[in-house]
Amino acid sequence: MSISKDMKTEYQKQLHLAIQAGSADKGIELARNALDKGLVPVEFFEEIIQPVLEDLGDRFSRLEAFLPELMRGGMVVKAVQEKVLEPIIHEQSDEMASRGKIIIGTCQGDIHDIGKNMVALMLQVNGFSVVDLGTSVSSRDFIEAAKRENADIIAMSTLITPSMPFMKDVIARLDSLGLRDRFKIITGGAPVTREWANEIGADGFGEDAVEAVEACRQLMGV
Amino acid sequence: MKQTTRLLDILDRAENGPIVEESQWDMFLVPDEIERVRSEFDIHLDDVGDSIVPQDDALADRLFDAGLALAERLGAYCVSTSRRMQFTRNEILNPINVAPLSISFGEDLDQHTEHKRAIEDPAHMTIKGGGVGTPVPEDLYLLVHQSYAQEPLIDAMINCTMERVYGREIRSRSPWEILTGWHEAELTKAACKRAGRPGLALGCVENAVSDVAELSASSYGGFSRRDWHHVAMISEFKTDYMLLNKLTHLVRTGSVIHSFYNTIYGGSVGGKDGMAIAIVCGCIMLQMIYMTNTHSVSPSHPFLDNDTCPEIMVAISVAQQALARNSRLLTDVVITPVGGPGTKILLYETAAMAILAAASGACGLIGPRSAAGTVPAHVSGLEARFMAEVAHAAAGMSRNDADSLVRRLVAKYKDQLDKKPIGKSFPEVYDLVTLKPLPHWQAIYEEVKQELKQMGLNLT
Repeated sequence: MSISKDMKTEYQKQLHLAIQAGSADKGIELARNALDKGLVPVEFFEEIIQPVLEDLGDRFSRLEAFLPELMRGGMVVKAVQEKVLEPIIHEQSDEMASRGKIIIGTCQGDIHDIGKNMVALMLQVNGFSVVDLGTSVSSRDFIEAAKRENADIIAMSTLITPSMPFMKDVIARLDSLGLRDRFKIITGGAPVTREWANEIGADGFGEDAVEAVEACRQLMGV
Repeated sequence: MKQTTRLLDILDRAENGPIVEESQWDMFLVPDEIERVRSEFDIHLDDVGDSIVPQDDALADRLFDAGLALAERLGAYCVSTSRRMQFTRNEILNPINVAPLSISFGEDLDQHTEHKRAIEDPAHMTIKGGGVGTPVPEDLYLLVHQSYAQEPLIDAMINCTMERVYGREIRSRSPWEILTGWHEAELTKAACKRAGRPGLALGCVENAVSDVAELSASSYGGFSRRDWHHVAMISEFKTDYMLLNKLTHLVRTGSVIHSFYNTIYGGSVGGKDGMAIAIVCGCIMLQMIYMTNTHSVSPSHPFLDNDTCPEIMVAISVAQQALARNSRLLTDVVITPVGGPGTKILLYETAAMAILAAASGACGLIGPRSAAGTVPAHVSGLEARFMAEVAHAAAGMSRNDADSLVRRLVAKYKDQLDKKPIGKSFPEVYDLVTLKPLPHWQAIYEEVKQELKQMGLNLT
């Protein structure tokens, strides 16, 4: 069904409030209520979730919204997707609108995670499915997770120069396993440059969270 | 030192505190508690208007109370054990109330003592000049550091990192990291000797991302106990075994400890109000957990990597004032400009921050970390000389005068920040044989000094 402008605005407002409160339960209740009233899951995702998250991402890129709100947005939407939308979609053998699946982590030896968290959340709020492996992730673990999750993109970040060589290792290991063409690679982090990304054979580079999203969009053609 | 007797107790807290998931800490505990104390203690930096060096003592005092309350309610988080490290108010106040009001580092004739300063204090700040972790090619490493060590106004040097070691890639927590730590010690000590200052204290081990290089390069023949050894706190308010390993080694060897906590604007702490609270709380927790001698918090912008934006500067100023008025802690300000060597903007940013720090009661200045510390070899000793000259000229300046001057300087560079004027690399701004600034860089330095004199700064 198509929903009225007023109804859409109201649902978006309610989702925004759920995000501000960090309440997955409120988000789930809202989604169930909307589906009871006749919306199908893809409509709820495209008409309600995506505009709210895009607005959140835009506000963060202007530093009008901060990381906690972004984190809560990611958490609430993930819960809505997992608990409400995906089970119905699986029943209907339909496809959920996702722009691609991304494995992300901070490279081996580096325990800094704020920058990586910002990128992960910006990707999530821009419609990508994100699996965050955390910090100090070995090249083997990046690849195993990408295979396991059937990812499209491996995103690697580091704040420190001595962890940069491990980015190269991921690409070398993919080459040796004959898997290089299966995954796109994007890199970022304070000491990482576009030149370095090119030198090691990465497919993309993001100087900050906003650029990282744009690079992933380009890689996925969305 | 007497505060280091609590090492075992600190380590116990990392083993015995309540277990919490890291995502809960980042997503709820930190931002929610910051918001709670912000509201409870009425911290609204927007109330100071366009001021960058505010003159509101009541605000500074409330900010200290807010930071202390946050330290008491939140504590810190040990990532390795997933446990909160919590302390009572008295446990936090005791070390703050007995912290030494001065600390000496460096050796023999190059020894220097850093003292507690008050707001608008006429005493000079301690100058810790250097590139603060900026990557530098191996063949330039000694020369770059000599360009700092030869500056007589520098009281200690803060090292850069190395791009490679013996031509090889450096890998974290590997033998290459250990070799890099040693190479850092060898080359920076050589730089100090060549500059005629063999006992100059060195901020180290900059290449020790992990514990192994710190423990190795600060053993016999490497960095000495009288250098100032760095231990980080991870944002936000987090530590782990690797950092506690460094700490334990430094405490048991009786080394001078400098610890730092670099929060991010717009991150878990939120905007400028949360950032100001986090700076105060961060310094308190650095003292509490790391038993540190000197403290620094270097906030950064999420897209520019600098700390010279007005919204970050005002948070630094009020937080420094809060700590100067209400604690004995020796706190340093790190200058991280966007501009690089060979640009006027680097000098404007550096001057603004140095004046802000002097008037706000900071005890020491670190840097400048030119070009935000991210562009290889974009550092030189001249900007550290400039930082020292401005800082000393600003000693004793009132907050009102400082605010006026800082705002005029910020107006000169604010609109250029997002263009990232990284300037030129070391070989493009220094003669590599004489180790003197090249004429064009020297001329820019002279020109900006002249501008500052005309603005009323008492530079010699």
